[in-house]
Amino acid sequence: MIRIENITAGYLQQEVLKDVSCNIDNKDFFGIIGKNGAGKSTLLKVLCNLIKPYSGNVTIDNKNINSFLKRDFAKIISFSSQHIDISMPFTVSEFVMFGRYPYMNTLKIPSKNDYVVIDNIMNSLNIKNFAERKINKLSYGERQKVLIAQVLAQETNIIVFDEPTSHLDIGSQNKILEILRDLNEKYNKTIVLTLHDLNAAGEFCNKLTLMENGSICSCGTPEEVLNCKDIERVYNTNVVVKTNPISNKPYVIPVSRIKELRR
Amino acid sequence: MINKKYLIVYLLMPVLIIAVFLFSLLIGSNEMSFFDVIKSLLGNTDENIVAIIKNIRFPRTIMACITGAGLAVSGCVFQAILKNSLADPFTLGISGGAVFGAVTAFVSGLATITSFFIPLCSFVGVILSVLIVYLLSMYKKFDPNAMILSGVVISYVFSSAVMLMFSLSPSYSIHAAFVWLMGSFSMIDERFLPFVVFVVLSGIIILSLSGNIINAISLGGEKSKTIGLNIERSIKILFIVASFITAVTVSFCGIIGFVGLMIPHIMRKIVDTNNIILIPACAFAGAIFLPLCDTLSRALFAPVLIPVGVITSIIGGLFFVFLLFKSERNI
Repeated sequence: MIRIENITAGYLQQEVLKDVSCNIDNKDFFGIIGKNGAGKSTLLKVLCNLIKPYSGNVTIDNKNINSFLKRDFAKIISFSSQHIDISMPFTVSEFVMFGRYPYMNTLKIPSKNDYVVIDNIMNSLNIKNFAERKINKLSYGERQKVLIAQVLAQETNIIVFDEPTSHLDIGSQNKILEILRDLNEKYNKTIVLTLHDLNAAGEFCNKLTLMENGSICSCGTPEEVLNCKDIERVYNTNVVVKTNPISNKPYVIPVSRIKELRR
Repeated sequence: MINKKYLIVYLLMPVLIIAVFLFSLLIGSNEMSFFDVIKSLLGNTDENIVAIIKNIRFPRTIMACITGAGLAVSGCVFQAILKNSLADPFTLGISGGAVFGAVTAFVSGLATITSFFIPLCSFVGVILSVLIVYLLSMYKKFDPNAMILSGVVISYVFSSAVMLMFSLSPSYSIHAAFVWLMGSFSMIDERFLPFVVFVVLSGIIILSLSGNIINAISLGGEKSKTIGLNIERSIKILFIVASFITAVTVSFCGIIGFVGLMIPHIMRKIVDTNNIILIPACAFAGAIFLPLCDTLSRALFAPVLIPVGVITSIIGGLFFVFLLFKSERNI
C-alpha cells in the first residue's frame, strides 16, 4: 500500500503540489485526472522519488521511499514517462533491456536470464517482430507497447505511467489500457497512471483522483469522482454524465452551446 | 547482424591498424623498402634504418595511434553523456585550457628552458579548465545543457586570455605557439610514451567497460533515473575519465581537431548507437585514422611537414559537409 502524506512539492520556487494526501491500495488500478498543469505528473514524480518534496512523506508498505537504496527501489516501482529521448536512438530490444538494469551487476552486463526475460515479455506483447528496429522509427502505438515492455522487464509490483494513451487513436488506446488491465487483474500489479480521457479513466480504473490546482479535489470510485458538478467546475465546461449500459461505468460527454439550447 | 558488427570491430579493424602502422613506418623522408621495416622491427638490418624506425617513426606512430584512439573514445563518450551529437572532446573547454597553458609556456619563455614545460603547462591548463567546468556543472546537477554552456564560456574566456598574451608578446614565440596549436606529433619526447600509452589505454578500457552505463545516460529523461542507477555520479566519473584522456593527449600533441567529432559519427553509422560496441569501435577507428593522417601530413608535401591537425580538420570538414547534406536528404 502506498501512502502519500501531506506532500508539498514543486520546481525551483514554484509550488505545484499543495498538501496532497491520498492512499493507493495494493492491486488498485489508480487513475489521476485533472486539467493540464494541475500537478498530476508532479505527483507521479514525487511518488517515484524523482523530485524531493518540500515537505511530507511517501511510504510504500510503511517504509519511507527515501530509505530504499536506488537499486532496491527500482525493483519495487517502475516508471514510464510520456517522453522518449530519441537523440541517441536504440533498438527496441536494447530499449527494453534497460528495464533489467536493477538486476544486473555494476557494469550492467546482461545475463542469459535477462535475455530470456525480455524475450518472453516481447513475445507476450507481440513486439518481438520489430525487436531490432529503431525506437524512433515506430508509430506512437508501437512505442507505447515498447514502453510497457520496458516497465515489465523491471518486474515490479507497482507500475507508474505518465499519460500512456496520449497521441493514441481510440483503438490503440483501448489496446494499451487492456494490456494494463490484464497486468492488474491477472498479475496483481498495482497500476498508477495519469489520463486525459475521462471516459477511458471511468471505464478502466477502479479508483480515480481528480486534481485541481495542485490539490486533490475528490478521490474514490469512478462513480463518485465523475460527477457532473465536480467535472464542470474543474474543467470549466458543461458536461453530461451518463452510465455505460454495457459496463455500468460512468462516461462524460461535453456539451457545447448549452446556453443557447436552454434559451 | 550482431555477429557481423563484432566481426568488423574485433577482426577487420585490428588488421587495419596493423596495416596502417606498417604503412606509417614505411613512409618518410628516408626511402626504405617494406622488408627493411620488417627486418628492423625484428632487429637485424642496417643500423641507420633501425635508428630511424625505432627512435623516430615507431614512437611517433604509436603516439598517433593512441592519441587517435583516445580522442575518438572521449568524443564518443562526451556525445553520449551530453546527449549532443555535435559534442567532441573539446566541447567542455579542454582546448581552451590546454592552449592557455601551452601559450603561457611559450610566451613566458619556459618552453625555451626545456621543452618539457610545454606538456606540463598545457596539462595544468587543462586541469584548471576541467575543474572550473566541473564545479559549474555541479551547481547545475550535471545537466547536459548547463555543462555545454559552461564549457563554451570557459573556452571563450581562455581564448581571450590567449589573444591578450599574443598581442603582448614578441612574434617569434607566437610562431612557435601557433605551430603547437595546430597539433603535431613531431615534438614528442619518447620518454613520455609509456606514460601516455598507460593512461590513455586504461581510460579507454574503463570507458569501454562502462558502455552499458553510458547507454543508460544517453537514454535520458526520467527513465534513466528510475532503473536503479546513480546517473549524476556516473556522469561525474565518465566526465573525469574522458577529460583525463583528452588532457593527456592534448598536452603532448596539441589540439588535433575533428577526430573526436567525426570518428564517433562514422562508427555510429557502421555499428549503431549501442556504446558497448561503439566505444571499442571508435578506439580502433581512431587508431587507424590518425596515423594515416599523420603519414599523409609527412608525405604529401615532403620534405615539408605539415601539422596533422590541418589534415584531420580538412578531411573532417569535408566529411561534415557531406554529413550535413546527407541528413538533409533523409528528411
